Amino acid sequence: MKSFLKRLLGTIPVLFGVVLLIFIMLRIIPGDPVTMLLGEHVNQDTIDRLTEVMGLNDPLPTQFFNYIVNALHGDLGVSYKYNREVTDMILEALPYTIKLAVLAALFAWVIGLVTGIISAVRQNHLADRLFMGFSLAGVSIPIFMTSLFLQYFLAFKIKLFPLTENGSLYSMILPAIALGWNSAGRIARMTRSNLLEVLQADYIDTARAKGLRRNAVIVGHALKNSMLPIVTMMALQLSSMLSGAVITESVFAIPGIGRLATTAISNRDMPVLQGTVLFTTVIVIAGNLLADLLYSVLDPRIRKEA
Amino acid sequence: MAEHDFFRKQNESGTPQNIEQNAASEEDLLGQIGEKDGITDKLRRMCRQNKLAAFSAAVILIILLMAVFAPVIAPYGEAEQDLLNRLQAPSAAHWLGTDELGRDVFSRLLYGARVSLSIGIIPSIISLLIGILLGLTAGYFGGWYDYIVMRLADVMLSVPSLLMAMVVMYTLGSSITSLFIALIIVDWASVARVVRSQTLSLKESEYVEAARSIGVGRFTIMIRHILPNCIPSLIVLFTLNVPSAILSESSLSFLGIGVQPPAASWGLIVNQAKQFLFTQPWLCLAPCIAIMIVVLAFNFLGDGLRDVLDPYMKDQ
Amino acid sequence: MKKISRRDFLKGSASALAASVMFGSGLNAAAEEGSDGTLYIAWTSDMQTMDVHTTSSNYQIPLNIFDRLFEIQLNDDGSTELVNSLVEDYTVSEDGLTYEFALHEGVLFSDGTPLTSADVKYTFTRMLALPESVQTDFANAIAGSDEVMEGTAEELTGIEVVDDTHFTVTLSEPFAGFLYQLATPSCCIYSESIVEAAGDDYGIDPALTIGTGPYVVTSWDHDNSIILDLNPNYWGETPSVTHVEISIIPDASTMSMMFQSGEIDILDCDYLDSSVVESTYKTAYADQIVSANRLSITYFMLNENVEPLNDVNVRKAIQMAVDRESILTSVYSGEGTIEDGIFPTGLIGHSEENQGWLEYDPEGAKALLEEAGYADGFTMEISSDESASSGVLLVLQIIQQNLADVGITAEIVSYDEASWLALRKSGEMCSFVATWTADYNDPDNFIYTFFGSADKSLIRSGNYYNTEVMERVAAARAIVDDDERLAEYAALEAQIVQEDAAWVPLFSRTHLFVVSDRVASYTPHWAGYSDYSFVGVTLA
Repeated sequence: MKSFLKRLLGTIPVLFGVVLLIFIMLRIIPGDPVTMLLGEHVNQDTIDRLTEVMGLNDPLPTQFFNYIVNALHGDLGVSYKYNREVTDMILEALPYTIKLAVLAALFAWVIGLVTGIISAVRQNHLADRLFMGFSLAGVSIPIFMTSLFLQYFLAFKIKLFPLTENGSLYSMILPAIALGWNSAGRIARMTRSNLLEVLQADYIDTARAKGLRRNAVIVGHALKNSMLPIVTMMALQLSSMLSGAVITESVFAIPGIGRLATTAISNRDMPVLQGTVLFTTVIVIAGNLLADLLYSVLDPRIRKEA
Repeated sequence: MAEHDFFRKQNESGTPQNIEQNAASEEDLLGQIGEKDGITDKLRRMCRQNKLAAFSAAVILIILLMAVFAPVIAPYGEAEQDLLNRLQAPSAAHWLGTDELGRDVFSRLLYGARVSLSIGIIPSIISLLIGILLGLTAGYFGGWYDYIVMRLADVMLSVPSLLMAMVVMYTLGSSITSLFIALIIVDWASVARVVRSQTLSLKESEYVEAARSIGVGRFTIMIRHILPNCIPSLIVLFTLNVPSAILSESSLSFLGIGVQPPAASWGLIVNQAKQFLFTQPWLCLAPCIAIMIVVLAFNFLGDGLRDVLDPYMKDQ
Repeated sequence: MKKISRRDFLKGSASALAASVMFGSGLNAAAEEGSDGTLYIAWTSDMQTMDVHTTSSNYQIPLNIFDRLFEIQLNDDGSTELVNSLVEDYTVSEDGLTYEFALHEGVLFSDGTPLTSADVKYTFTRMLALPESVQTDFANAIAGSDEVMEGTAEELTGIEVVDDTHFTVTLSEPFAGFLYQLATPSCCIYSESIVEAAGDDYGIDPALTIGTGPYVVTSWDHDNSIILDLNPNYWGETPSVTHVEISIIPDASTMSMMFQSGEIDILDCDYLDSSVVESTYKTAYADQIVSANRLSITYFMLNENVEPLNDVNVRKAIQMAVDRESILTSVYSGEGTIEDGIFPTGLIGHSEENQGWLEYDPEGAKALLEEAGYADGFTMEISSDESASSGVLLVLQIIQQNLADVGITAEIVSYDEASWLALRKSGEMCSFVATWTADYNDPDNFIYTFFGSADKSLIRSGNYYNTEVMERVAAARAIVDDDERLAEYAALEAQIVQEDAAWVPLFSRTHLFVVSDRVASYTPHWAGYSDYSFVGVTLA
C-alpha cells in the first residue's frame, strides 16, 4: 500500500510534465489561430482584439499558470471554434467512449482468453491454427481496414448491425469488435504461450498424477499461474481504449473522445485538443496505476515485499 | 493503429514498470552476462530453430532490396500518369492495375516502400540512439539527472501515442520530417527505460566493479561494458518499433494528417484508394497486404530474436 | 464568399470511399418508412454556429431558420430571378442611391415576437459593428457603414426606420448588385430583442437562436445530430418536410452506405469520388440523381510578383500547357464545363464571346517559353491546402504533369489550412488552385473580389499589376445602365484573362446529389451550394 501511495504521488510531476509539454507544443505553431478562426474577411483590428480576448498576448508563463489553475478547477478553457466549454464537450463525449471501450475490452478479454485457452489445449490443431490466424490478422491489419470491412460485410451486406452508432448499445457491438480485435489477438497469443509454458511445468504433471481431470488441471492450476501478466495487460488495454479510439469513432460516427481530438485538429481548435490530450493522459495514468495495483495484489512475491 | 501500437509498447516489450519491480529479472540478467556465445551464434541458432523468423528476415531483406532498387525494378515512374487508363484492373502491363490518375500501382508500391520503410526504420534508429544515450547516463549517474530523464520518459509514455503524434503533426504541419519527429518523441522513452533498468543492475555487478577498480573511465565502462549487454533487448525492441511506426503512419494518413501527396507512402496509397475498396479492391488491398506482410515479418522476427537473444524480455 | 466554395469543394469529398457498393444496390430500405414528413440528411462535420454574422462555412441551418429580405429563385430553364421574401414591395430612386422597402405584414419570429423595420436596421448594424463579423462586405455599400465598422458611430445612418413595416436604405454610391446581396445567406434577418436577450449564446443555443424561417432547431447534439421542426408561427406556406434529422457522419464511405441502406434521403456527391458516383450511383440510381448548375469557377492563380510568372508570355504559356479537358474528365468524370474567363456559365455577365479562345497546346506553350527566354524551363511552387478534397489534389498532380511536359518543374508543397490561408493573404503564394462560388448572381461578385483593387488582388496572391483595369473594375459597380455595365465587364474579362493572363481559368463543376425514392422533388440552391432550403424538398 505504501508503495502504491508512492507511485500515486509520483504521477504528479508526470502530469505536470504532460501539461507543460502539450502546452509548449501547441503554442509554437506557425500561423496565428485567430486568422484561421476568422477567415479572411476580417481586418487587423479584429484580429488584435480577439488575440487580446483569448489571452494570447499574455506572456507564456502567465498563460501556463492560468491554464493549470483553471484546469485544477475543472476548467479546460473555451473552444475557439464552437465557443463552448472544453470540459462540457469532453463530458458530453465521455459516455460514448466509455460504452465503446468497455464493450471492446469485454470482447477482447472474453474472446482473447477463450481462444487462447482453446489454442493452448488444442495446440497445433485446426482450431489453434485458425484462432492464431485471426489474432495475427488483428495485430497486423491497420484498424481502419478492419473497421471498414466489418462495417461493409456485417452491417451493410448482411444487415446484422446498424451502420453507425444510433444510441443503442447494440449499435456499439460492431465498433467494439473492430476496436477490440487487436487486443483480443494479443491476449490470445499471450494466454496461449503462457499456458503452454506452464502446462509443461512439473507441478502440472503432479496434479495430473493425483488424478485430476485434464480440464480441471488447466483451469485450476495452469491458468492461475499464467494470469498475472495477462490481467495486467487487460487493465492497460482498457485504459488505452478509454483514451479514445480515434479511427473506430470516425468510421462508425461515434461522437466520443477520439472524435473530439480529430475535429480539434481539422478545426485547429487548440483548447479542445489540449483538453482532450490532458484528459486522456489522466485516464492512461490512472489505468497504469490500476494495473500496478492489480499486479501487486495478484503477485504473491510483490505482496510479500510490501 | 492508434490502438495497435500503444498496447504493444506497454506490454509485449515487457510491461516496462514491471521490469523495474521484478526482482527475479535482475538475476536472469546477470545470468545472461555470463553466457558465452555471441550474438552471431544466437542468430544462427534462431535460424535453425525458428524457421518462421528466418523466413521473415529473408522477406524483410527482399523488401528492403526492392525499395532500394525501386527505380530499376519499377516498370513505370512513380508519378507517371496515363489519364486514358485510369482505374484499370490488374493486367500484364500493370500487375496491380492503375490508380485514379492512371499511375501503375505496382511501381507506386515499390517507391512507397522507400517512404514507408524509412518511416519505420529511421525514427526507430534515432529513438534508439537517444534512448541509449539518456538511458545509459540516467542509469549510471542516477540522482536528480536520472529522476528528470525518467519523469520525462513517463510523460512521453503517458500520452497515448497516436494523440501525441497528432499533436506533433498539428504543431509542425504534415510532412515526413514532422512524422519522423512525432515517432521519435513517442518511441525514445521505452528504449530509455529498458536501457536504464539494465544499466542499473549492471553497474553494481562484479564485472563492472572490476573494470572500475582498474581505473577504466566512466564513459568507457558505459560504452564498452554496459551497452553491449543491452544490445540484445534493443534489437528486439527495434524490430517491434518498426512495424508499429508503419502502422502509425497509416493511421495518421487515414486521418488525413500523415504524409501529403504527391509523396507516396503505403499508408497514403491505402488512404487514397480506400474509396475504391468495393469497386476496385486491388487498389487498396495491394498496399494493405504490403503493410501486413512487413508488419508480420518484423513481428515474427522480433519474436524469434527475443527467444534467443533476450529471454528476460519475455512476458514474465 | 470563399465560405461556401470551401465547404463545397475543398472539404467536399474529404474521405470518400466505398460508395461503390454496386452489387448490393437497388435496396431501397427507405420505402419501409412511410412518408411522415421526416427528411434524413447527413454532413461530414458539424456546424460551428447558427449566427451567420460570425461564420461563413455552413449556411444550411441559417437558410432554414431565418428569412432574408429577398430570395433568389431558380427557374426551370436554369435562369435565376430575384423574388420578394420578407419585403413585400420596394422602389428604387432614379440615381440608384435610395431604396424604399415595405415589409410583409404580420411576420412573427418563432417565439411570437413580431418582425419590425427596427429589426432590419439592427441586423445590418450588428453585421458591421460586431468585431468578429465576417460579413461586413455584404453591408458596406450602405451609407455610414464605414463609421459603424470602425466604431466611430453607433448608428447606421444609411438605414432609416419609417414605421414598423417601412424603412429606407441609402447607399454611399450606386451599386447594381445591392438587392442581390440582400438575398445572400449572410443577410438573414434577426430580431433585436431575441439577439440581445441571448447574448453570447446567440447562434450556439438553439432555443435562443430563432428566426422567422420555416423551421426551428429543436435539438443540437454536438458532433452527433441536429433536429429541426416546423416553426409554428411561420408566415409562409407549410412545407412538405415537417421534421429534419441531420446526422454527422465523418466518414464519407459510411455515409454512402447509409444512403444505400435507406438511412439518408439526400446524398451530396461532393463527398464522394466522381468515379464512385459514376460506377455506383449513375448506374443503379440513375433516375434519382439531381444535378445542380454550380455558379462557380475553379481557377489556377499565378502570382505576378514571382519570377518568372511576372512575364506575361510565361503566364500565357502556362495557360496553354494545362490540359483542362483531361482534368475535368479524369477527376470529375466530365461533370462540368470548361471555362475560359472569370464569369462562369450561368452567371449574369457570362459572355460566350470570351469563350473558346484557349486551347490545350503544349507545343505552343514551349514556343512561348522559348521566346520568353525559358527554353530550359524553370522551377515553381504550387501550394496545396491539406484540408482540400482529394479531387483538388488530383487536379494539382495533373497540372504538375502538364507543366513538366513543357519543361516547367512544379513542386507541390502542402500547408495546413491556417498556414495556407495566411500565406495566400500575405500575397506571397506562388500559385494555387481554388474555387469561387457565387454569393449573388452578378459579375461584380467575381471580378471585384479578385481584380477590384491592388489590395484585393494581393490577398489572393494574384498581384495583378494592371491598375488601370482595376480602376475600371471598381468603377463598373456604379454603372446604372445594365447593358453598358455588362459590356464593360466583358471587355474587362477579355483584358484580364486573355491579354494579361492573370490566371488560368479551369472549369465550373456540376453539383450532383442523389435523392432517395422518398423524395418526390428536390430543388438545389440556385448557385449549386451544398446548403439548401428544406422548403424546396417535397416528400413522396
